[in-house]
Amino acid sequence: MAKSRLYKILSRVADIRPGEETIALLLFLYFFFIMFPYYIIKPYRDAQYLVEVGSLQLPFAYLATALIMGFIIAFYSRLQAKLQRRVLIILSLIFFIVTCFLSQRLFVGEREYSWMPLVFWVWANIFIVVLGTQFWILVNDVFNPREAKRLIGFFGSGGLLGGFFGALLTGILGENYPDNLLLIAIGLLILNIFVVNYIFIWKRKRNPPADKANNKNKKRGIRLANVGFIDCFNTVRKNRYLTLLAIVVILTFMVATFIDYQFKTVIDIHEERMDRMTALLGYFYAALMPFPFFISLLMTSTIIKRFGIRLTLLVFPLVLLLCAFGIGLWPTIVFAIAIKAGDKSLSFSLNQFTRELLYIPISPEIKYKAKVFIDMFLNRFAKGLGALILMIFIFLPSGLEERSNLLEKSNVLVKPDVLEKTDASTRPDELEKPNVLAKPDVLEKTDASTRFDELEEPDIREKRVRIVSAISLVFILIWIFFNLKVSKEYTNTIKKKLELKWDRADRLVAEKVDVDYTKLIFDTIESKNRSSVLYAMNLFDLIKQDKLTPEVKKLISFKSDEVKISSLGGLFESGETVWLPESEDAQEEEVLEKDIGEIMSLDVYQEVMKDYVEKALTDKSIESETTRMEVAKALGLMDAHSLLSQKLEELLWDESPEVSRYALESVAKLKKKEYVPVLIQKLISPITRGDACSALEKYGSKIVGTLADYMGDKEEDLELRKRVASILASIGTQDAADFLAWELEGDRKDMDAELIDSLDKVRSEKPDIQFQETIVRAKIFKEIKRYCQDLIELYDLISLGKKEEREKNLQKDLSVSFMNTFRLLGLIYPHEDIIKAFQNIRTETKDSVAYAVELLDNILEKEMRDVVFPLVEDLPLEERAKRCLNLIKILLDK
Amino acid sequence: MEINSREKGDVIIFDIEGEIRRSDISDVTLHQLVKDQLDAGRRNILLNFQNVEFIDSFGVGEILASYISIHNLGGKLKIAKISKKLYLVFQVTMLTKVLEIFDEEEVALDSYIKD
Repeated sequence: MAKSRLYKILSRVADIRPGEETIALLLFLYFFFIMFPYYIIKPYRDAQYLVEVGSLQLPFAYLATALIMGFIIAFYSRLQAKLQRRVLIILSLIFFIVTCFLSQRLFVGEREYSWMPLVFWVWANIFIVVLGTQFWILVNDVFNPREAKRLIGFFGSGGLLGGFFGALLTGILGENYPDNLLLIAIGLLILNIFVVNYIFIWKRKRNPPADKANNKNKKRGIRLANVGFIDCFNTVRKNRYLTLLAIVVILTFMVATFIDYQFKTVIDIHEERMDRMTALLGYFYAALMPFPFFISLLMTSTIIKRFGIRLTLLVFPLVLLLCAFGIGLWPTIVFAIAIKAGDKSLSFSLNQFTRELLYIPISPEIKYKAKVFIDMFLNRFAKGLGALILMIFIFLPSGLEERSNLLEKSNVLVKPDVLEKTDASTRPDELEKPNVLAKPDVLEKTDASTRFDELEEPDIREKRVRIVSAISLVFILIWIFFNLKVSKEYTNTIKKKLELKWDRADRLVAEKVDVDYTKLIFDTIESKNRSSVLYAMNLFDLIKQDKLTPEVKKLISFKSDEVKISSLGGLFESGETVWLPESEDAQEEEVLEKDIGEIMSLDVYQEVMKDYVEKALTDKSIESETTRMEVAKALGLMDAHSLLSQKLEELLWDESPEVSRYALESVAKLKKKEYVPVLIQKLISPITRGDACSALEKYGSKIVGTLADYMGDKEEDLELRKRVASILASIGTQDAADFLAWELEGDRKDMDAELIDSLDKVRSEKPDIQFQETIVRAKIFKEIKRYCQDLIELYDLISLGKKEEREKNLQKDLSVSFMNTFRLLGLIYPHEDIIKAFQNIRTETKDSVAYAVELLDNILEKEMRDVVFPLVEDLPLEERAKRCLNLIKILLDK
Repeated sequence: MEINSREKGDVIIFDIEGEIRRSDISDVTLHQLVKDQLDAGRRNILLNFQNVEFIDSFGVGEILASYISIHNLGGKLKIAKISKKLYLVFQVTMLTKVLEIFDEEEVALDSYIKD
C-alpha cells in the first residue's frame, strides 16, 4: 500500500498503520472539537456556580446532576435505539448549540436568574457526558482492541489539545469578555458537525469491519427499539465483568467528586470575584492540559504496552492516594492544585483510555447498552453518591451545628452601623472578610442572598478539606481493590472471546476409543478365517479384558444372526465352526482364565510344547506362518518366567510382520526388560513401529532411563529417536518430562519438532508436571531467533522478486517455528490460554488475531512479550522484517 | 494396497485400493503419506474407502495415527464410502465417535466447507 503524506506525518507521533491516517485524524479532530468548547464552558460554569452559589453548595449540584442524568439516560437510550448513529450525533450537537446559545442569552440578560448557575452546571455535565460517550462509542465501532490500544493515545490527545486551547482561551478572554465565551463554544460545535459528517462519509466509503456491527444492529432494529434504562441496567447487573467495571466507575467518580470539592473549596477560600475566578480557572485548566496531552500522546500507549492493563489501572488511584494524604495534612492551595492536577492529568489520559480499553472485549450489543448506562448515568450517579457522602460528613452531625452557628453569625453581623458603611445590598458575611471591603466590584456583584460558607472561617473549611481527605483515602483503597478485580476479569473476558478450536487429538482418541480393544476386535475378526486357534486365543483375550460384550459376540459370531451375516459380507460366511463362549457368567469366565493359566504353567505342558514350538520356529515357510502366529500369541498367555517365553525374541525377528506383531503383543504382556532393546529397534520399520510403540508404552516408567539413553544417542536412527521421544511423552512421568527437556537443551534442530510436540503432549495430558523453565525459555528465544532469520530471508527473496523453491521451504519453516514457539510457551504459561491464542492467530481473521494478541498481552510478562509480539502482530512484511532484525540483536544477549 | 491422491478445493483425497494390513505394506505407509501432505501445508484429508474391503489392527493404527497428526495441526481427517461391514466394526469399537464417516464423497467434501 502506498503511504500518503498524511500517514508519513502522523506516523511520527503515533503508531499508525497505512490506511488508518484519515480516520485517525478525523477522530482526533472530532474529540478536539468536543473538548475545546467544553473547556470554555467548564471554567465559566464553575465560576458562575462558586461565586453565585458557593462551594458549600457543590454537593447539591452533583446530586442534581445525578438525578437529572437518570432521566436523560432513559430518554437517550431510546433515541440511540431508534436513530442511526450519525443522525443521533448530529442532532445532539445541534441540541447543545441551541441550548448553549439560550444559556448565553440568559446569563447576559438584564434580569438575573438565581437558578441559572445550577441549571447551567447540570447542562454542562450532560454536554460532556453525551458527546463524550458518543465519541468513545464511535471509536469502539471503528477499531478492535489492538488498534484501539495503539491509537487511543492519539485520539485522546486530540481531546486534550482541544481542552488546552479551550481553557487557555477562557483564561485570556475570561476576565474581559466572559459573556462572549459561550459564543465561541457554539462556533466550535458547528465546526464539529462537519467533522462528524466526514467521519461517516469515510466509514461508508471504506466500510471497515466495525460496520458489520452496525449492520447487525440495524438487523436487530426491532429488538433495540425496546432498549431502555432498565434494559441497560439489567445488562450491567447480569454480567459480572460489567458489574465490576460499574463499581470501578462509581468509585472513580466518587473520589473525583471528593477531590473536586477539596480543590474548589480551597480556591473559593482564596478568590471571590467571578470574572477573576473564571480567568483563574481557565488558566489553571490551560496550564493543566499539556500534562495529560503529552501523557496521552507520548506515554499512554507505551505505559499500557509496557505494564499492561492491570498495572496501568493502579497508577491513577495510587497518585491520588498520595495527593489525598498530602492535602489531608496540608490543605493549602499548593496541594489543592496538586491533587486536582493529578486527577485531571491522569483521569483524562491514562485512566479514561485504559477504562475505554476495558470495554473492548465486550460484544457490541452488550457494550452499547453498558456504555450508555455506565458512562452516561453511572458516573454522574457516582458524583451524586459522592455528594451525599460529603453532605453526611460535612453537615452531619457537627456540620449542622456549624451551619446553625453560621446563621446566627450572619444575623449578628447585619448591624445598622455596618450597613451604613456599605451599600444596602452588601452581603453581611462578606463584611467579615478583610479583602472584601477593598473590592467595591464584589459589592456590586453580590446581593442579599447569603452564602453560608462565606461566613465561615477559612480554618473551618480547611477542616472539611481534611475530613474529605480521610474519606478519599478509604474510597481510593476500595477502588484499588476493585481495579485489581476488574483487570483479572478483563483477562477472563478476553479468554471467553476466544474459543479452543481444536484439542490435542491424542487425548481425544484416548478418551473416546480403547485402541488396544479396537485392535483386538480387528485381530479377532481377521484371525477367524486364518486359524481357529488364533481366533480362540483372541476371544480369550477379550474375555480376560471383560470386553466380550453381547454386541461383540454378535459381531464376531457368524451363527448369531442372518441379517448381520449378510451385512458383514463374505467375511463370516465360510470357515470352520469355532467355539464361542455361550455363557455371560463372569464367574465362569474367571474360572476359564484360571484354568488356562494353570495349564500353561504346568511343567509337563512346557515340556510337551517345547518340541512343538521349536519345530514351528524352524519352519520359516509361508504355510507355517499361521502356526508361528499361534505360538507367538500363546507365549503371551504364559508366565513371564516360563521356559517357553524365552522363544519370544526369535519370534520378534520373524520375517513375517504378522508373526512379529503377535510377538510384540506378547512381549508387552510379559514386560520382560531384556526385550526392550529389541522393541526399540522395532521402531525403525514403519510396519512394526506402531506395535513396538504400544508395547514399550506398556512397560511404563521403569524403562524411562533406557529410553532416554536411546533418545540421546546421536548414533541411533533419527526416526527411532523421534519415536522414543513420543513414547516418553506417552509414559508422561516427571522423569520422562525432564529427559525430554534435557534433550531439548541439546539443540538438535532435527529432533526439535518431535521433542516440543512430546513436551506439549505431556503438558496437555499431565498438567501437574513441571518443566524446567530455564531450558524452555532459552529454547523459546532460539525458536524466535530462527523464525526471525527465516522471515528476513523470506523478505529479501520477495523484495528481489525471486520465486524460488526456497520461498516455499521458508514458509514451511516459519510455520513450524511459530508452532514450536507457542508449544514451548504453553509449557511455562497457562497451557490452554496459549493454545487458544495460537489457534486464533492461525485463523488469521482480524478480530480473532486481535483478541488472541490481547490475551497474550495479559498473560506474558514484558520480557517475553517483547520477543513474541513481533511474530504475532498484524504488520506488513517489511515492518515485520525490520522488527525481526531488531529482535535478533536483542536475542543475541539472551 | 495402493493409494492414489487427488485434490478437490483444499481437500486432498486418498483413493485407497486393497486392504490396509501390515502384510500388504510396500514402501510407504498411509500415515507417512498423510505426514507428507501436512508438511506441504495441507490440512484437510479425505480417505476414500470405496475399494477397501477390510483392514487389520495395523490399518486401525495407521488411521488413528493419521487422525492425530492432522487434528493436532488443526486439520480434519474424514472417511467416505466405507463398507457396511467395516462401518459395523467401527461402530462397535467406537471409532465412529472420533472419525467422521460419510456415505458419499460429495457429502464429505461439503462437510469440509461447513467446518
